[in-house]
Amino acid sequence: MKKTSTLSKLYLTVILLVMYLPIFYLIYYSFSSGDTMDGFRHFSWTHYQALFADTRMISIVLNTIIIALLAATLATAIGTSGALLIERIKRRTLRQNVLVLNNILMVSPDVIIGASFLIFFTFLGIKLGFWSVLLSHIAFCIPIVVLMVLPKVKELPQSLTDAAYDLGATRWQAFSQVTIPGIMDGIKAGFFMALTYSLDDFAVTFFVTGNGFSTLSVEIYSRARQGIDLEINALSTVMFLVSLLLVYVYYRFSVKPSSKGGVVK
Amino acid sequence: MAILKFEGVKKQFGDNVILKDINFEIEEGKFYTILGPSGSGKTTILRLIAGFDYPNGGSIYFAGKQINQLPANQRQVNTVFQDYALFPNLNVFENIAFGLRLKRMKKKEIQLRVQEALALVHLAGYAHRELDELSGGQKQRVAIARAIVNRPKVLLLDEALSALDHKLRKEMQSELRQLQRQLGITFIFVTHDQEEALAMSDQIMIINEGLIEQSGSPVDIYDEPLNHFVADFIGESNIIPATMVRDFAVAINGKEFICVDAGITPGEQVEVVLRPEDLDITTVEKGKLTATVDSQLFRGVDYQIMVHDTDGHEWKINSIHKTTVGKQIGITFDPEDIHVMRKNETQAEFDARLESYQGVEA
Repeated sequence: MKKTSTLSKLYLTVILLVMYLPIFYLIYYSFSSGDTMDGFRHFSWTHYQALFADTRMISIVLNTIIIALLAATLATAIGTSGALLIERIKRRTLRQNVLVLNNILMVSPDVIIGASFLIFFTFLGIKLGFWSVLLSHIAFCIPIVVLMVLPKVKELPQSLTDAAYDLGATRWQAFSQVTIPGIMDGIKAGFFMALTYSLDDFAVTFFVTGNGFSTLSVEIYSRARQGIDLEINALSTVMFLVSLLLVYVYYRFSVKPSSKGGVVK
Repeated sequence: MAILKFEGVKKQFGDNVILKDINFEIEEGKFYTILGPSGSGKTTILRLIAGFDYPNGGSIYFAGKQINQLPANQRQVNTVFQDYALFPNLNVFENIAFGLRLKRMKKKEIQLRVQEALALVHLAGYAHRELDELSGGQKQRVAIARAIVNRPKVLLLDEALSALDHKLRKEMQSELRQLQRQLGITFIFVTHDQEEALAMSDQIMIINEGLIEQSGSPVDIYDEPLNHFVADFIGESNIIPATMVRDFAVAINGKEFICVDAGITPGEQVEVVLRPEDLDITTVEKGKLTATVDSQLFRGVDYQIMVHDTDGHEWKINSIHKTTVGKQIGITFDPEDIHVMRKNETQAEFDARLESYQGVEA
């Protein structure tokens, strides 16, 4: 392998520094004993103690995680079936149009989606809270899952399902033992993408959370408006570590099996 | 009794007619090859037998029962796919055991059957390999093992060797042939490679544009092609227009030659087939036809020599002896080297004509 040139090394270092500096700045002050980020006093766990004593914050974190897990799971189920059905559409133009409709949801601004959900839920008389947040999260996660799963469905050769039938499988057996394992990489990727989208969504959630229910991003936003509290820094640090763990898990379980098909044993 | 029978089978996709009228019978325990150019409908026939597609007309019988609409998973037929279609998430053992597990066979029995199948394809000891540790040829063997482990009545092979390199393909040809004899089950092999078909089959069916052009043993088809298409498609050939003079005599370029064909109206316009390897180069005086050498190509085993005769017909001659470009030569051949083809003669008519002057044969 060619050695990376000094210039490109420098470039990478600068970019990574610029990207991660604010986060490390935040993390750094989470260990300060002071109440503001004006200057670092001395090391302490105060803000972490405050965070873990803050039951409202803990319950909001749990809410966020529950919403994310539920939304990602359901969106994965719906999105995967969607991708399989889209691939079955025989007419090219119709299939293209369905895909365009799917992609519009991906690119349209969250604020507009959030506002339209708000109008939709109030029109139907659905009380804003857990269910409205969950429903809207599922809705904006589905297109992501479809996009992640569809290429895998396309790659899956027809002969694989034919082979399953040939060996005596019923439709369900062929589906569960051949089709699903065949597109599993896409399903996993879709699930993790949906999970992260749901976890960090602010705009849509902001519109559809009612009184008494909140997710982390909305809560942090409303607290930050009242002045910076270093408890937020502590929370951010914890979340950063959790994300790190998630990324690790994702690469461990999702990327590795797909690279197995390559040259490396 | 025929294990498999097609009766007037038609198949079309939308307006695209693939099979027009397919009739044949397949006997138990033989090696059949469906041979045809790409797009001729040969793979469609296989898919109809396997049950991946259903016919639009006619009937398919399996062991005497009509199976037109019987789903693939209920047929006693297994397929070896062109792209192998091995399940990437399963290892060698699990791929082969797939069909047996669906039948809820006992673990011990599965173990035994898989080992047996692996031994048959010379892959004993590979059971716990992952698929990406296998070469193309080994994957091919796994695909065959996965099919035969279910002990089907008929094994279908769809262009099964086309992805292998030349040497491996030759090896697999003889192995497949041996496997078929060993198992005694019917093999139906689809290919566009005529050499492969001639080497392996008991019976060949030549298909073109959704119709069967000719079926018979490799020797029959090679020596007595029914029409221009078959003569051209199987092997190399010189197809020359001619006129029938009387029984056992045909005129090429106005010159009369003795042949072994009869039963054709005198004066009828026919075509004669002469295989390049049956033609010999001699001196102009000894030759039956006089020709000039146009080109000469060394091919390892022989020379391919292109000549044109005094009437302007092109001839292809395969000879182990060298000649000189531009030289005048004589072409000679034996009466039995000439095969006369009538235009638009069906196989039944051909067989009847053959019987009329040869007595009972073939």
